[in-house]
Amino acid sequence: MPDNTPDGQGQPGALGRFLASQLSPEKIRAWRIVFFAALALAALLNVFITNHEPHFGLDRYRFFWPAFGLAVGVAMVLLVKKIIQPLIKRTEDHYGDL
Amino acid sequence: MGTSSFFHPAIAFLMTAVALPFLPGRRRWKWLLLIAPLAAIYAAFTNQPGDYLTLSWLGQTLKLGHVDRLSLIFAQVFAVMSLAGILYSLHVDDKGQHVAAVLYVAGGFGCVFAGDFLTLFVFWELMSIGSTFLVMLNRTRESVLASFRYFLYHTVGGLLLLGGLLLRHQALGTFDFGPIDPGSAQPYDFLILAGFCVNAAVVPLHAWLPDAYPRGTVTGSVFMCAFTTKTAVYVLARAFAGWEILAIAGTVMAVYGVLYASMENNARRILSYHIVSQVGYMVAGIGVGTAIAVNGASAHAYAHILYKGLLFMGAGAVLYAAGTQRLDELGGLAARLPWVMVCYMVAALSISGMPIFNGFISKNMTIFGAAEAHQTWVALGLEVAAVGTFISVGLKLPYFAFWGGKPTDWKRSLKPIPVNMYFGMGLLAVLCVLQGVFPQILYRYLPFPEAVHEYVPWTAWHVLQSAMLLGFSGLAFYLMRHVITPHKALNLDFDWFYRLIGLALYHLISRPMAWFDNIWTNVWNAVGLRGLMGTAFGSVFFDKGVIDGIVDNTAYGTRGVGRVGALFQNGRLQYYLGLMTVLALGVFALFFYGVL
Repeated sequence: MPDNTPDGQGQPGALGRFLASQLSPEKIRAWRIVFFAALALAALLNVFITNHEPHFGLDRYRFFWPAFGLAVGVAMVLLVKKIIQPLIKRTEDHYGDL
Repeated sequence: MGTSSFFHPAIAFLMTAVALPFLPGRRRWKWLLLIAPLAAIYAAFTNQPGDYLTLSWLGQTLKLGHVDRLSLIFAQVFAVMSLAGILYSLHVDDKGQHVAAVLYVAGGFGCVFAGDFLTLFVFWELMSIGSTFLVMLNRTRESVLASFRYFLYHTVGGLLLLGGLLLRHQALGTFDFGPIDPGSAQPYDFLILAGFCVNAAVVPLHAWLPDAYPRGTVTGSVFMCAFTTKTAVYVLARAFAGWEILAIAGTVMAVYGVLYASMENNARRILSYHIVSQVGYMVAGIGVGTAIAVNGASAHAYAHILYKGLLFMGAGAVLYAAGTQRLDELGGLAARLPWVMVCYMVAALSISGMPIFNGFISKNMTIFGAAEAHQTWVALGLEVAAVGTFISVGLKLPYFAFWGGKPTDWKRSLKPIPVNMYFGMGLLAVLCVLQGVFPQILYRYLPFPEAVHEYVPWTAWHVLQSAMLLGFSGLAFYLMRHVITPHKALNLDFDWFYRLIGLALYHLISRPMAWFDNIWTNVWNAVGLRGLMGTAFGSVFFDKGVIDGIVDNTAYGTRGVGRVGALFQNGRLQYYLGLMTVLALGVFALFFYGVL
């Protein structure tokens, strides 16, 4: 391990070592489970905690916001990366500025 | 000049700019940079509403110190940000960068306290000049070119403002800077609005921002991300609150910015597009114009300056250490730059509106203000932008910069990050969390205190709604992570049109000029040249007959004097002493004769 490890200043600190240790496949799997569990918990809480001041109509229904976040997120990425960017993408030095 | 207890923060920054070039030593002068922001913080918390520093100039009354709740909240966050920015840049030895930064900040304070359009215009242009140098002083070819484009563009924006304020003065006889009624708006008001919209980066006038900010110096872009657009937000809030066109423009900005940010590969360009997006929230709030919406816009400007400054600091620190800001060249750095990552994530969660962080308060207040005013499409557009914000700045940028699915990159050589950069980041990170946990810190300074309790952020529903929105946006990112992977590319934006317009203007001017030049050359060859030759012959005659005679005879005379002088200047000391004696005797004789 070279000596310019954390921020280029000696050996990694406790936080650096912890972060490095989280990249094993087992730890990544564990974090994934935590993430999905948190999503499930949020959705479950939505059964009991609801919106009393809906503004958009559909947001009066349970699970509107999880569906909104997921659908808008997926649609936005697909729209941008699969439709818009192929039309407007050029080489990095298109204008000769670099 | 009438003053009381008001202290104008711009004075401290201008004095720093004047003094800096003359301060001796290699590093000790840097501590003096902290005086102006500390004085500004003191002023922002102690200045009281009123009109101060009124000057009479050319028959006009200039108000340099118009203080009210709106100007104070912006002055307060400008002061805090100037301290954080200067802390972050203390390691920089280039005095030019510091002079540019403090002039730029002085311009920002000048605009915030300006009570008339003329004062506003002067400080507006000072900001433009200071920020141009913050880009140029990066000293690369692309930054110099970008700074030139930036200056040209802001000159056009400044001219729109100048034209508007002069025409307004002609029509109304006043330069007073205050609310403009949208119902009775005149063309000059739209010119002023256009000038403000250039600096607010309102789409499609926004492309200067993602062009210039990623090319500024590491520290310069930290200042720029805070002041130019937010000064524009301030002037829009003061003059154009309730203009519905701004509600629409702001929503377009909010969505447009996140779409481009989702495509980009350059970290600081992603953040630049997110300035467009986040300023969109503020512009939309101002356009809605109700007390709670303007409160939301002001709160969001405050929160945004803190977290956007921190985002640029984090991305700048990565650029400083790794030497690149392209995401496809980064990754595997979380364990190498752990505290940079932590500070960046505080800012990323703040901008995304995650509970505990300040964006949770301000963003939701703005959306609430729009929804309560029955601007449903505006509110919905801002929610869409919130999803895109979390995906692009909250997840995509940090994922590909710090992880990217790669193992820890222990082999990459990283330049050590100066400790002062960590202090700057730490200060802003603490403030982002404090404002999120204790929103009353922000609430007490909002411009409409009577409306602050209309929105209560910390309710079970608001926390759950934000958690669900962001959590499932995160799921979308997880599912789409291989699609959103960034690659090297330039994405065409409206600057394509700017360049086209620039090129058209260039041809419009150069081609008729070239045509005229050709015609003129022919006319000159046919007519002018003969006249010139005739004049030349006359001149030659005069020159030979008269001038040469005078010059030659002067030369002969000088040569004769020189020959006589040479007789005495033979290098022999005894001759000199003798000559001196003769001269001394002559002087003495004259003196004696005179005494007699």
